[in-house]
Formats: sequence, structure tokens, C-alpha cells
Amino acid sequence: MKLNRALMQRRALPLLVWICGLLVLWEAVSWWLLHVAKTPLAQSKLPYVHEVALTLWQYSGTLLREGGATFGNAGVGFLIGALSGVLLAVLMSFSRTIEQLAFPYAVASQMIPILGLAPIIYGIVRDEQMSRIIISGYITFFPVALNMLRGLRSVDPSALELMHSYAAKPWAVYWKLRFPAALPGLFSGLKIAAPLAVTGAILVELMGAQRGIGVIMLRNLYYGPSHTYMFWSTVLVGALLGMASYWLMSLVERLVAPWQPEFRPQGGSR
Amino acid sequence: MESNTVHEFPSSNNVISPDTDQGGDPWKFLKWLNPGFVLPLLAGVLFLLLWELQIFHRIFDLKKYQLPLPSAIAEAMRDNISLLLSYTGYTLTEAVLGMLIGSGCGFLIALAATAWPRWGGGSLTMVAALNAVPIVALAPIMNLWFGDGIGSRAAIVTATTMAAMAINAYKGMAAVDPLALDLMHSYAAGKRAVFRHLRIQNSLPYVFTALKINATASMIGAIVGEFFFSSRGLGYLLSNSIKVAKMPLGWACIVLAAIAGVIFYLVVERLEKVFIKWHPSRRT
Repeated sequence: MKLNRALMQRRALPLLVWICGLLVLWEAVSWWLLHVAKTPLAQSKLPYVHEVALTLWQYSGTLLREGGATFGNAGVGFLIGALSGVLLAVLMSFSRTIEQLAFPYAVASQMIPILGLAPIIYGIVRDEQMSRIIISGYITFFPVALNMLRGLRSVDPSALELMHSYAAKPWAVYWKLRFPAALPGLFSGLKIAAPLAVTGAILVELMGAQRGIGVIMLRNLYYGPSHTYMFWSTVLVGALLGMASYWLMSLVERLVAPWQPEFRPQGGSR
Repeated sequence: MESNTVHEFPSSNNVISPDTDQGGDPWKFLKWLNPGFVLPLLAGVLFLLLWELQIFHRIFDLKKYQLPLPSAIAEAMRDNISLLLSYTGYTLTEAVLGMLIGSGCGFLIALAATAWPRWGGGSLTMVAALNAVPIVALAPIMNLWFGDGIGSRAAIVTATTMAAMAINAYKGMAAVDPLALDLMHSYAAGKRAVFRHLRIQNSLPYVFTALKINATASMIGAIVGEFFFSSRGLGYLLSNSIKVAKMPLGWACIVLAAIAGVIFYLVVERLEKVFIKWHPSRRT
């Protein structure tokens, strides 16, 4: 525990300095743009940090509510996508035929700009709630399926032989051996997908919706310079939502699969 | 971003060796019929057929103007091919430019993080946080900063590709063989020499993994950037043709974006084969 805390301090201090340094730099550049360079729209380009923080505080109720709406929808889509991804991975690991059928398309779909599909899906469904969920789910699906499959396949062969020698039933092999082995892969898939799901949800809101952080973002952008601080606040909230989704996944990973090398106080080969 | 989401095809399944056609083997063509190749092809054709026959429209209760038929998409593609090609070129330019800058910055950050672990490590964390920022939140800011020319999209792509490169390259530079490091020390090699001869070499496979991830991500960044603030490019045409209810043209944009993305990816993969021939995973 003591060691852990020392490590935290050693890591946290530089990070803190970095963050503070960047904020100070931001404030300085903002002042410089406004008073020295006199750039047009200086505050829109880089507003004062303290003003943005103030707006963030003043409108925290609205921002929380709308951000929550976005996060909730992204979360529902994310859960559906992740569950179907896991399901497909298990099916692919069961049957060679299904894998041969689905794998090339799963790979190919990784190369299609999935977010580019967003307006098309919105055009088909014409329902903000539905299309947010569909896009978030769709984005989540493939990274989860591919990483999970790789995890399911990466089981130690000798452990598999041991299971066979105990005449373990297939479900026992899956439950006791393959699933635990697949967890790291699953979580790296989830960590890739979580911020993307939030991006997808915001994207749909920008194309037209009633609620969500994207709606206020767009509205304040079009109202012009007088709404600069509010606009920047929504951008910050969007960024925080993306990061929160990643942190949440890391936290769950730590709870569910704590044996991985990167969680050890001193990483193995580093 | 620990791992690479882009996988290679299982090579054992669809290797078609060209050097086996000695003599007049009448069953030669059957080699093409191995299941790894034929099954997905059949599934794809079946899928397109069901689509063309409007089965999906019946199941999901869709109209033809909502989900255009493949033949209509092909027609739209043929009618607008010169426009589509020039826009594809524009979008690809943005993507490649942004990716080069972003990957370059990412690599420099990785270098700094390896050289000064205590302070550089913080920058790595900051970049990873930047990666979680939604592209759609970056897009309006980059537009404010760089105007609506090619620069703003290149900047969006730069921001979205930096993290993957920084994290991967750092992993490669950190995970050097300790024995090799000991050897360098025993030769009294300086920090610079260790970097030049050991760490950078070791990071190359990781760098290419990051480049492959970024090839896909940069296309997404460029297209999403064009949705909002552009008067050219595939993303602009896509969102525009949906606004005026020209769905086939919108789908044509998606198809071209996919093709361009695949070509981009294949080029990077080709480069990887050329540059890290020496790597064990490339030896036969």
C-alpha cells in the first residue's frame, strides 16, 4: 500500500505539473491573442480558462442533464453492441464455418469509416434515440468481437490439454479457461470502443436531435461570439464524457481482471 | 488503445499458391473453392441479392428512398464518377497529410517519454486523454483555428492519430531486450546511441501497427470533419446528398470512402513489408 502511494505520487506530480502548465499557457495565449495580437474572434478561438470554468459552473445543471442524456444513450448502444460482439466472438470460436463467414467482413468493416455511416443511419431511422443507440452499438460491436475472439483463441494449449484430461465439459472449458483468458482482449476492445460510442452519439445529435450535449454545442456555435464560453463548455463536457467512458472501462477492468501485468506495482519486463 | 484492432486475415485459409499449376490438373480451379474464400464471397453475394430483392425493406419496413438498392447506388456512382473521384482524392489528401503530421508528433512524444520517463510520461497521459476527446468536439475548434480549408481537417486528423502512435511507439521503445540494453551499457554507449541503434529499431513493428490503426482512423477523422465545415470532399457530399434526399449518392460516397480506406491500409501494409523485412514475423 505504501509502495502504491509512493508510485502514485511519483506519477501524479508530473501529470499535475503538465496540466497546470498547459492551463497557464492557455490563459497566457488567450490574453496574448486578445490584447497583443488582436486577432479577430480571439475569444472564440481560445477563450479565457477562468471564463469557461465560470460558465461550466453556472450552467452545470443544464450541461449535466444534457451530457447525461448523451452518455445514457451512448451507454445503451455500447452495452448492446458489446453484448452482441461477445456473442459473435463466442460463436466464431465455436464454429470454424461461422468464423470463415464473418471474420473477413468484420475485418473489412474496420476499414470502412463507420462514423461516415452516421448520417445514413439517421436518414433511415429518422429517430434520434434509435439512431444514437444503433450507431453507438455498431461502433462497439467490431472491436469487441475481434479482440474477444483473439482472447478466446489465445488460451495456453497445455491448459486446454489439462482440461481435456479432466474430461471437462465444453461449458466448463469456456467458463473456467477461455473466458478468463479472453478478458484482457475484451477490455482492450471495450476501451477502444467506449470513447467512439460517445463520439457517435454526439455526432447524431449534431445532425438533428432534441436533447444531448451535441445539440447545445451546435446551437451555441451558430449563435456566434456571444455564446463562446458556453460553446467551449459543451466541447469540454463532450471531451470529459469521452474520457469518463474510457476511465470507467479501465476501472471495470481493474475490478474484473486485476491479475494483468500492467496493474502490478512494478510491471514485469519494463 | 493498448492493442491493434485491425487484424490480418487468417493466412492459412485463403492462401492461393500460384506455383501449383503444373500439368493439366483439371481440378485446379477447385483450389479457389476452399471454404475460407468461397463462404464469405457467397455470403456477400447473398446479402447483396437479398438487398436488391428488397427483402430487407420488407423485414424492417423501409422504403426504397430510405435504403436505396445496390443497383441504384451503382448507377449513382457511374453518373457522378468524376466528381466522386476528385472528392475522394481531396479527402485522402487531408487524411494522409493529417496522419503524417499526427504520427510524426506522436513519435516525437514517444521519444521524449522514453528519454525522460518522469516528465515525458505525463505528456503521454495527456495525449491518451486527447484521444478520448470526441472528434466532433474537436472539429468546430479546428475550424475556428484553421479556417475551412484543408488545414482544419488535417488538424483534426492530426489530433486523432497522435495518441495511437505515441502509445505504440513508446511501448516499442520501452520493451527492448534487457540483454541488448546491458550490452549497449557494457560498450559504454550513450543515450543517443542506445536510441539510434536499439530503441528506434525495436519500435518499428509497433510504429507500423500504429500506422495501420491510423490509416483507418484518419479517414474517419477527415470525413467527419467534412460533415460540418467544408465545401468539398466525400464527407461534405455525403451529408449534402442526404440533406437533399439523394440517398444513392450518399451510399456511393460511403462505398468510395471504404475503397479509399482499404487502399490506404494496403499501402501502409505494403510499406511495412518493405521496411521491416528483418522482423521475425516477416520471415518465412
